[in-house]
Amino acid sequence: MTRRWIGPLIAGAVMVPLAWQATLLATPYALMAAAMQKIGSGGPVNSFAFGAPATAANQPIVRPSPDLLYASCVFDVSGGPVIVEAQAVPDTYWSISIFDARTDVAAVRSARDTGGASAKLALFRAGQRPPVGYDPVRLNHDKGIALIRVLADPRIDKSAFDAIDRARRTSSCRPANSAN
Amino acid sequence: MRGWLRYTLCVVTGLVVGGGAAIYQVRSADLGRQVINGPWSTNTDNGTADASALARARVALFGLLALPAKEAMYYQARTDSSGAALDGRCTYVVRGTAFDARWWSLTLYQGEGWLVPNAANIYSAGSGSLIMMESKPAQFAIRVGPDIPAETNGFIPTGGVSAFDLTLRVYHPQGALLDDPARARLPSITKERCA
Repeated sequence: MTRRWIGPLIAGAVMVPLAWQATLLATPYALMAAAMQKIGSGGPVNSFAFGAPATAANQPIVRPSPDLLYASCVFDVSGGPVIVEAQAVPDTYWSISIFDARTDVAAVRSARDTGGASAKLALFRAGQRPPVGYDPVRLNHDKGIALIRVLADPRIDKSAFDAIDRARRTSSCRPANSAN
Repeated sequence: MRGWLRYTLCVVTGLVVGGGAAIYQVRSADLGRQVINGPWSTNTDNGTADASALARARVALFGLLALPAKEAMYYQARTDSSGAALDGRCTYVVRGTAFDARWWSLTLYQGEGWLVPNAANIYSAGSGSLIMMESKPAQFAIRVGPDIPAETNGFIPTGGVSAFDLTLRVYHPQGALLDDPARARLPSITKERCA
């Protein structure tokens, strides 16, 4: 009787670490996919959605900073490279970060890296040719999120906040082969 | 019981136990606890290929789209400096000195990392407001509590929630903040009173 359970119990025991590891490996992909779906609902793929300041009533992703204005672009380079241009915003912190489908950061650029100029990135996969004149960012996955952060607090200076908001909205995310 | 049924039962049980253990491990921790400094904890490999599967899963759950350490450090506290869990029915004072960084901010969250509704619609305090007010003190004191005062500068409401955490963001960190976060000079969190 007991002997008949030895094989099944060993098989079950082997499954425990395998399931543990598989769950951990799958979690970032699953949560990133959910985030891309949620963020992507705010606009088409390969274009920026410019969010309002985070509040208790506006929290597109977990642990948002209420001090930052976010703009997010769900990108997909399966059809060719994607151009992401983050407009430099003077006198405040700004950055553009590229996250792939596994949540790895493929690139981060801020005024510290660009010398104050706008960041112009070309996202591409192996086998694609990034357009000339852009900072090439090679990706290991087709899809991901480009995220712009701009420090701005509407409680302090509304006119400064509005100027920052206008400036960041000139940022763009588009396929390299688009007409624009 | 037939042989295939015994195998199915044990394999399914193994999958459930392994998957459940992973979910419990991910959910029971914080944004990251690679480095401990008083009540604060942080990770140093957010968003990098070096991050372990467990660290990556935790960051995805508690701080998706977190930046790498060179761009920003995220310090999280769920207790005060005495080790007692942060309670939204109590008032705390967070005291520290200005950080060697581009800017910093302290934000209050509940659960996995959600802003807490409050009558003042205030969720954070930090160098952004202090700099814009043309005042940059070397030291700061931020009060955190359920009762919103008339002067809300330097105050973060808890909304009266039973449990919360504080996340200290430091952008473009320099010195020990980046190189030796376990020894970096971080704020103290002191309980003043409870309702």
